[in-house]
Amino acid sequence: MPSGGKKKHKKPSRRKSELDSALDQIDDESLAATTEEFQDLLREAKGDTSELIRQNAEEVERRLILLKKRKIDKEDFDYFVENQKRDLRVFVDGQPAQSQERAEKLTLQVLEIAAKVAIALMI
Amino acid sequence: MKSTLVSRNVLLCAVAFFIASCGTATFTKSGSDATIESLRSFHLAFIDEFAVPGKKFNATAFNAKVNEGNAKFQEAIANDKFTARRPVFVDLKAQFDADAAHIKSKASRGKITPALASEMKKDINKTYDHALGR
Repeated sequence: MPSGGKKKHKKPSRRKSELDSALDQIDDESLAATTEEFQDLLREAKGDTSELIRQNAEEVERRLILLKKRKIDKEDFDYFVENQKRDLRVFVDGQPAQSQERAEKLTLQVLEIAAKVAIALMI
Repeated sequence: MKSTLVSRNVLLCAVAFFIASCGTATFTKSGSDATIESLRSFHLAFIDEFAVPGKKFNATAFNAKVNEGNAKFQEAIANDKFTARRPVFVDLKAQFDADAAHIKSKASRGKITPALASEMKKDINKTYDHALGR
Protein backbone atom coordinates (compact mmCIF):
# COMPACT_ATOMS: atom_id res chain seq x y z
CA MET A 1 0.00 0.00 0.00
CA PRO A 2 1.45 3.33 -0.98
CA SER A 3 1.83 5.77 1.89
CA GLY A 4 1.88 9.45 1.13
CA GLY A 5 2.82 11.96 3.77
CA LYS A 6 5.97 10.17 4.88
CA LYS A 7 9.36 11.76 4.50
CA LYS A 8 11.86 10.28 2.10
CA HIS A 9 14.50 8.07 3.68
CA LYS A 10 16.32 6.44 0.79
CA LYS A 11 19.28 8.21 -0.74
CA PRO A 12 18.56 8.34 -4.46
CA SER A 13 21.24 6.91 -6.73
CA ARG A 14 23.62 9.43 -8.28
CA ARG A 15 24.67 6.96 -10.97
CA LYS A 16 23.80 8.17 -14.47
CA SER A 17 20.71 6.49 -15.83
CA GLU A 18 19.88 5.89 -19.49
CA LEU A 19 17.52 8.85 -19.29
CA ASP A 20 20.18 11.10 -17.71
CA SER A 21 22.50 10.35 -20.63
CA ALA A 22 19.72 11.19 -23.10
CA LEU A 23 18.86 14.40 -21.25
CA ASP A 24 22.54 15.42 -21.24
CA GLN A 25 22.42 15.45 -25.02
CA ILE A 26 19.76 18.17 -25.14
CA ASP A 27 21.45 21.16 -26.78
CA ASP A 28 18.76 23.74 -26.18
CA GLU A 29 20.30 26.22 -23.66
CA SER A 30 16.89 27.65 -22.79
CA LEU A 31 15.87 24.21 -21.46
CA ALA A 32 18.97 23.63 -19.34
CA ALA A 33 17.35 24.79 -16.09
CA THR A 34 14.15 22.84 -16.78
CA THR A 35 16.07 19.67 -17.56
CA GLU A 36 18.16 20.00 -14.41
CA GLU A 37 15.06 20.65 -12.30
CA PHE A 38 13.40 17.62 -13.86
CA GLN A 39 16.39 15.36 -13.14
CA ASP A 40 16.48 16.51 -9.50
CA LEU A 41 12.74 16.04 -9.11
CA LEU A 42 12.84 12.60 -10.71
CA ARG A 43 15.72 11.52 -8.45
CA GLU A 44 13.80 12.76 -5.41
CA ALA A 45 10.62 10.95 -6.51
CA LYS A 46 12.47 7.69 -7.27
CA GLY A 47 13.98 7.71 -3.78
CA ASP A 48 10.71 8.45 -1.99
CA THR A 49 9.19 6.05 0.55
CA SER A 50 5.79 6.27 -1.12
CA GLU A 51 5.34 3.44 -3.59
CA LEU A 52 2.96 5.57 -5.64
CA ILE A 53 5.52 8.36 -6.08
CA ARG A 54 8.31 5.93 -6.95
CA GLN A 55 6.11 4.00 -9.36
CA ASN A 56 5.01 7.17 -11.16
CA ALA A 57 8.57 8.46 -11.46
CA GLU A 58 9.75 5.13 -12.88
CA GLU A 59 6.91 5.14 -15.40
CA VAL A 60 7.71 8.65 -16.60
CA GLU A 61 11.36 7.69 -16.97
CA ARG A 62 10.58 4.45 -18.82
CA ARG A 63 8.24 6.25 -21.21
CA LEU A 64 10.68 9.07 -21.91
CA ILE A 65 13.19 6.41 -22.91
CA LEU A 66 10.58 4.69 -25.12
CA LEU A 67 9.90 8.09 -26.69
CA LYS A 68 13.59 8.71 -27.26
CA LYS A 69 13.87 5.28 -28.91
CA ARG A 70 10.79 6.05 -31.06
CA LYS A 71 8.92 3.03 -29.66
CA ILE A 72 6.07 5.35 -28.75
CA ASP A 73 5.35 8.79 -30.22
CA LYS A 74 4.59 12.13 -28.58
CA GLU A 75 0.82 11.51 -28.77
CA ASP A 76 1.31 8.26 -26.85
CA PHE A 77 3.57 9.97 -24.31
CA ASP A 78 1.04 12.75 -23.68
CA TYR A 79 -1.72 10.17 -23.36
CA PHE A 80 0.34 8.23 -20.77
CA VAL A 81 0.95 11.44 -18.79
CA GLU A 82 -2.82 12.00 -18.71
CA ASN A 83 -3.29 8.34 -17.73
CA GLN A 84 -1.02 8.88 -14.74
CA LYS A 85 -3.09 11.87 -13.69
CA ARG A 86 -6.28 9.82 -14.04
CA ASP A 87 -4.70 7.00 -12.02
CA LEU A 88 -3.81 9.51 -9.33
CA ARG A 89 -7.49 10.48 -9.22
CA VAL A 90 -8.46 6.82 -8.72
CA PHE A 91 -5.86 6.48 -5.99
CA VAL A 92 -7.02 9.62 -4.18
CA ASP A 93 -10.71 8.71 -4.55
CA GLY A 94 -10.00 5.30 -3.07
CA GLN A 95 -8.00 6.52 -0.05
CA PRO A 96 -8.36 8.94 2.85
CA ALA A 97 -7.48 12.18 1.04
CA GLN A 98 -5.35 13.92 3.66
CA SER A 99 -2.68 11.20 3.70
CA GLN A 100 -2.28 11.33 -0.06
CA GLU A 101 -1.71 15.05 -0.52
CA ARG A 102 2.07 14.79 -0.80
CA ALA A 103 1.92 11.88 -3.28
CA GLU A 104 -0.49 13.82 -5.46
CA LYS A 105 1.53 17.06 -5.36
CA LEU A 106 4.94 15.55 -6.14
CA THR A 107 3.60 13.27 -8.87
CA LEU A 108 1.78 16.12 -10.61
CA GLN A 109 4.95 18.23 -10.44
CA VAL A 110 6.97 15.45 -12.13
CA LEU A 111 4.32 14.96 -14.82
CA GLU A 112 4.00 18.65 -15.65
CA ILE A 113 7.73 19.14 -16.12
CA ALA A 114 8.11 15.79 -17.99
CA ALA A 115 5.89 17.11 -20.76
CA LYS A 116 8.31 20.02 -21.34
CA VAL A 117 11.36 17.76 -21.32
CA ALA A 118 9.72 15.27 -23.73
CA ILE A 119 9.65 17.83 -26.54
CA ALA A 120 13.35 18.56 -26.19
CA LEU A 121 14.19 14.85 -26.09
CA MET A 122 12.62 14.31 -29.50
CA ILE A 123 14.84 16.87 -31.23
CA MET B 1 -34.04 -4.99 38.23
CA LYS B 2 -36.50 -4.49 35.37
CA SER B 3 -34.62 -1.43 34.13
CA THR B 4 -31.32 -3.37 34.18
CA LEU B 5 -32.95 -6.06 32.04
CA VAL B 6 -34.23 -3.48 29.55
CA SER B 7 -30.80 -1.83 29.39
CA ARG B 8 -29.16 -5.17 28.79
CA ASN B 9 -31.59 -5.99 25.97
CA VAL B 10 -31.01 -2.59 24.37
CA LEU B 11 -27.27 -3.14 24.57
CA LEU B 12 -27.56 -6.63 23.07
CA CYS B 13 -29.70 -5.26 20.24
CA ALA B 14 -27.14 -2.52 19.55
CA VAL B 15 -24.29 -5.04 19.48
CA ALA B 16 -26.28 -7.37 17.20
CA PHE B 17 -27.11 -4.48 14.88
CA PHE B 18 -23.45 -3.42 14.75
CA ILE B 19 -22.27 -6.95 13.96
CA ALA B 20 -24.94 -7.35 11.28
CA SER B 21 -24.01 -4.03 9.67
CA CYS B 22 -20.31 -4.98 9.66
CA GLY B 23 -21.22 -8.20 7.90
CA THR B 24 -23.30 -6.31 5.34
CA ALA B 25 -20.48 -3.82 4.71
CA THR B 26 -17.99 -6.67 4.16
CA PHE B 27 -20.41 -8.43 1.85
CA THR B 28 -21.06 -5.18 -0.05
CA LYS B 29 -17.34 -4.47 -0.46
CA SER B 30 -16.55 -7.97 -1.70
CA GLY B 31 -19.36 -7.65 -4.25
CA SER B 32 -17.91 -4.31 -5.32
CA ASP B 33 -14.41 -5.84 -5.59
CA ALA B 34 -15.82 -8.53 -7.85
CA THR B 35 -17.39 -5.86 -10.07
CA ILE B 36 -14.01 -4.10 -10.34
CA GLU B 37 -12.26 -7.37 -11.27
CA SER B 38 -14.90 -8.05 -13.89
CA LEU B 39 -14.40 -4.56 -15.38
CA ARG B 40 -10.63 -5.09 -15.35
CA SER B 41 -11.00 -8.33 -17.34
CA PHE B 42 -13.24 -6.62 -19.86
CA HIS B 43 -10.89 -3.63 -20.15
CA LEU B 44 -7.78 -5.81 -20.70
CA ALA B 45 -9.61 -7.97 -23.25
CA PHE B 46 -10.60 -4.78 -25.07
CA ILE B 47 -6.93 -3.76 -25.33
CA ASP B 48 -5.95 -7.27 -26.46
CA GLU B 49 -8.57 -7.16 -29.20
CA PHE B 50 -7.99 -3.67 -30.60
CA ALA B 51 -4.50 -2.48 -29.62
CA VAL B 52 -2.76 -4.95 -31.90
CA PRO B 53 0.16 -3.74 -34.06
CA GLY B 54 -0.53 -4.27 -37.75
CA LYS B 55 -4.16 -5.33 -37.28
CA LYS B 56 -6.68 -3.67 -39.61
CA PHE B 57 -9.06 -1.42 -37.66
CA ASN B 58 -12.64 -2.71 -37.69
CA ALA B 59 -14.80 0.30 -36.79
CA THR B 60 -18.03 -1.72 -36.48
CA ALA B 61 -16.56 -4.26 -34.07
CA PHE B 62 -14.78 -1.48 -32.17
CA ASN B 63 -17.93 0.63 -31.72
CA ALA B 64 -19.93 -2.42 -30.63
CA LYS B 65 -17.32 -3.25 -27.97
CA VAL B 66 -17.15 0.36 -26.78
CA ASN B 67 -20.95 0.41 -26.43
CA GLU B 68 -20.78 -2.84 -24.47
CA GLY B 69 -18.12 -1.33 -22.22
CA ASN B 70 -20.10 1.86 -21.69
CA ALA B 71 -23.11 -0.18 -20.61
CA LYS B 72 -20.99 -2.22 -18.17
CA PHE B 73 -19.39 0.84 -16.57
CA GLN B 74 -22.71 2.73 -16.37
CA GLU B 75 -24.32 -0.27 -14.71
CA ALA B 76 -21.48 -0.48 -12.18
CA ILE B 77 -21.77 3.24 -11.40
CA ALA B 78 -25.54 3.05 -10.98
CA ASN B 79 -25.88 -0.27 -9.16
CA ASP B 80 -22.82 -0.78 -6.97
CA LYS B 81 -23.98 -1.15 -3.38
CA PHE B 82 -20.72 0.16 -1.94
CA THR B 83 -21.60 3.80 -2.54
CA ALA B 84 -18.28 5.15 -1.23
CA ARG B 85 -16.74 3.56 -4.32
CA ARG B 86 -18.91 5.42 -6.79
CA PRO B 87 -16.28 8.11 -7.61
CA VAL B 88 -13.78 5.31 -8.31
CA PHE B 89 -16.16 3.72 -10.82
CA VAL B 90 -16.59 7.11 -12.48
CA ASP B 91 -12.78 7.39 -12.69
CA LEU B 92 -12.51 3.90 -14.21
CA LYS B 93 -15.11 4.81 -16.81
CA ALA B 94 -13.07 7.93 -17.67
CA GLN B 95 -10.00 5.70 -18.13
CA PHE B 96 -11.94 3.37 -20.41
CA ASP B 97 -13.20 6.34 -22.47
CA ALA B 98 -9.65 7.72 -22.81
CA ASP B 99 -8.24 4.32 -23.81
CA ALA B 100 -10.97 3.81 -26.40
CA ALA B 101 -10.36 7.28 -27.88
CA HIS B 102 -6.59 6.75 -28.04
CA ILE B 103 -6.87 3.29 -29.60
CA LYS B 104 -9.36 4.55 -32.17
CA SER B 105 -7.08 7.44 -33.10
CA LYS B 106 -3.97 5.28 -33.40
CA ALA B 107 -5.43 2.04 -34.82
CA SER B 108 -7.36 3.83 -37.55
CA ARG B 109 -3.99 5.22 -38.76
CA GLY B 110 -2.14 1.92 -38.26
CA LYS B 111 0.05 3.45 -35.52
CA ILE B 112 -0.30 0.94 -32.71
CA THR B 113 3.12 -0.24 -31.52
CA PRO B 114 3.96 -3.19 -29.23
CA ALA B 115 5.27 -0.72 -26.63
CA LEU B 116 2.00 1.24 -26.69
CA ALA B 117 -0.12 -1.88 -26.15
CA SER B 118 2.15 -3.17 -23.42
CA GLU B 119 2.27 0.16 -21.54
CA MET B 120 -1.51 0.54 -21.82
CA LYS B 121 -2.03 -2.80 -20.11
CA LYS B 122 0.42 -1.89 -17.35
CA ASP B 123 -1.54 1.31 -16.72
CA ILE B 124 -4.85 -0.53 -16.63
CA ASN B 125 -3.62 -3.08 -14.11
CA LYS B 126 -2.14 -0.36 -11.92
CA THR B 127 -5.31 1.72 -12.00
CA TYR B 128 -7.54 -1.23 -11.10
CA ASP B 129 -5.17 -2.19 -8.27
CA HIS B 130 -5.51 1.35 -6.94
CA ALA B 131 -9.30 1.13 -7.34
CA LEU B 132 -9.19 -1.92 -5.09
CA GLY B 133 -7.06 -0.05 -2.55
CA ARG B 134 -3.94 -2.16 -3.23
